[in-house]
Amino acid sequence: MSCYGCSGNKCKSRRWLSLASNPSPEEGIIALVGMPNVGKSVLFNRLTGTYVTVSNYPGTTVEIARGKTQIGNKYVSVIDTPGMYSLIPITEEERVTRDLLLREDISLAIHVVEAKNLGRMLALTFQLLEVGLPLLLAINMIDEAKRMNIAVDSLSLEEKLGIPVVTMSAAKRQGIEQLKMRIASYV
Amino acid sequence: MYEVKYPHLIEQLINNIEDLLQQSWHDVLQEYSHLSPRGLSLLILEKDKDILSRLQQTAVISPIQTLVAQLESQLAKPISQVIQETRSQRALELEQQVLLLQGDSNRRGISQLGIGEKLHHLMIHPITGFLILILVVYFGIYQFVGNFGAGTLVDTIEGYFEEKINPLVNKIVALLFPWPVIQDLLANDYGIITLGIRYATALILPIVSTYFLMFALLEDTGYLPRLSLMLDRLFKLIGLSGRGVIPMVLGLGCDTMATVVTRTLATKRERIIATFLLALAVPCAAQWGVILGLLASHPKGLLIWAVVVTSIFLIAGATISRILPGKAAYFYMEVPPLRLPKLENVLLKTYTRMKTYYLEILPLFVYASIFIWFGRITGIFDLIIGWLNPLTVSLGLPEAVSPVFLYGFFRRDYGAAGLFDIQETLTINQLVVCAIILTLFLPCIAQLQVMLKERGWKTTLAIISFIFPFAFFIGFVTSRILLFTGLFL
Repeated sequence: MSCYGCSGNKCKSRRWLSLASNPSPEEGIIALVGMPNVGKSVLFNRLTGTYVTVSNYPGTTVEIARGKTQIGNKYVSVIDTPGMYSLIPITEEERVTRDLLLREDISLAIHVVEAKNLGRMLALTFQLLEVGLPLLLAINMIDEAKRMNIAVDSLSLEEKLGIPVVTMSAAKRQGIEQLKMRIASYV
Repeated sequence: MYEVKYPHLIEQLINNIEDLLQQSWHDVLQEYSHLSPRGLSLLILEKDKDILSRLQQTAVISPIQTLVAQLESQLAKPISQVIQETRSQRALELEQQVLLLQGDSNRRGISQLGIGEKLHHLMIHPITGFLILILVVYFGIYQFVGNFGAGTLVDTIEGYFEEKINPLVNKIVALLFPWPVIQDLLANDYGIITLGIRYATALILPIVSTYFLMFALLEDTGYLPRLSLMLDRLFKLIGLSGRGVIPMVLGLGCDTMATVVTRTLATKRERIIATFLLALAVPCAAQWGVILGLLASHPKGLLIWAVVVTSIFLIAGATISRILPGKAAYFYMEVPPLRLPKLENVLLKTYTRMKTYYLEILPLFVYASIFIWFGRITGIFDLIIGWLNPLTVSLGLPEAVSPVFLYGFFRRDYGAAGLFDIQETLTINQLVVCAIILTLFLPCIAQLQVMLKERGWKTTLAIISFIFPFAFFIGFVTSRILLFTGLFL
């Protein structure tokens, strides 16, 4: 259908194939959400081993991509979503994410944020908490923040928010295992 | 669990709505039953379209509307705005509590530091930004894709096909099948292997691959959003917002994908304008490549092609944005920091796109070969060529170009590859006219499908029925102008 990477249909068929070849039951669904260009797709690639196009360009993902990851001894569905600023959608691709989050039964939403723009992005965390979604905050690009001498007190943030908070750098493959361990209690 | 506290009056309203919803739960909200009552009330106050339209059929909507109207009359701002501002405020406060700034920490990001900052400003400035664009186009596109990809690489692979593979295939096929009809299906001038697979492998693949590599590099540095910022002013003139530039710039890679990306535009009007311009005047990787390959050694011809296509893009954009009702949308775009691209991601992305693209076109090129073969043995091919010939001749082109236009109906890149194949028989003027028509001409079938899916058949039909005659009309006008001015390139 398109020249680029993995578009909706192709991913679905791949997912179907992996289901057919792998009899383990599906245990839960986790959705990666957040503003554009925070690294959701990189994290998706790291978790599932399925390639979706990644760019330093907001709006690269316009369709939902689905894959699978192993958490402990379970296989869990992972959904990569187009970036969004708020649960109240302005554009069509934001509506796709909103509908997925609000109308489907998600075991865990992972809100991916950038360490250096934490303040701008936490508003969406609040909104996701308000509607009562099971939520985990993944603070990404911690390496870039470090180079700017910025660090996040994730323990204190975890205490204040009352949800798990993980720091990581998906592009550098840092913090992925820790993230998986925290996911385990939700699926 | 953290909870944002809103101003007192809003908190009261939230409680009231929660009560109203709980007193009479409505099945229309069944899909949202797993959400918290507070969250649901807030979504209503923020005017979530789907939830409000579901409540429209129930009795609970009128007391809610009364309560909201009462409060809105007391507040200076809309409730939804107060809610968002409170959240943003709390977010910044929380950030202050957990962010540890060390030494001379700089919150403004790498792009605002040192060289990065200078580059950022140079890239978005209308004059220096334009000079940088010219440098990128000259070295990245013209030299790397045009001369290296479409020149050196194609010559090598194509030469190998022509000298080694094709004669071998012809010989083997002739040995295996004594019937010329079957021989022509697989080999000789229009065979599946000697034409279809050769076009895909020797002409299109090297060009598109070098282009994808270049494009992936540009994407990952963060140059493209800055290009969009710079072009924003230009685009405002033709009624597209800065966000409209995103699909346009991506269209230079693949128009099909870019048409999908028009979803990121806020209004239907912008989406139609962008879809139209993508279909008409934004050349995709394959077209760029082949046209560069054709005209790279004739810079004047390339210049005329570029001027004509750019002018049409601007004139068509300005015209349609005046015809379509509505006004230009506001511009808001996230500008990511400038980053050094990661080689791993650039190569993986290029490889994935190459593979997807190749696997997509290979069967299409094979079908096209079969189609042409079928058309030739039944005479249908010659019949259609016969209809096309007067048109081709009126454009000042030799009849040999007619099949190229026919291929172009299948896919623009197939047509362009056909043109590449017969380039020696054409003058530069004729090449320029063909290149212009093929650029403006019909989108590939994949793009047509996406247009139908995203815009519906009415809009698509309107766009297509404009583009077809228009492409030939512009080709005609260009060829006449070149003829009358006696300009021989």
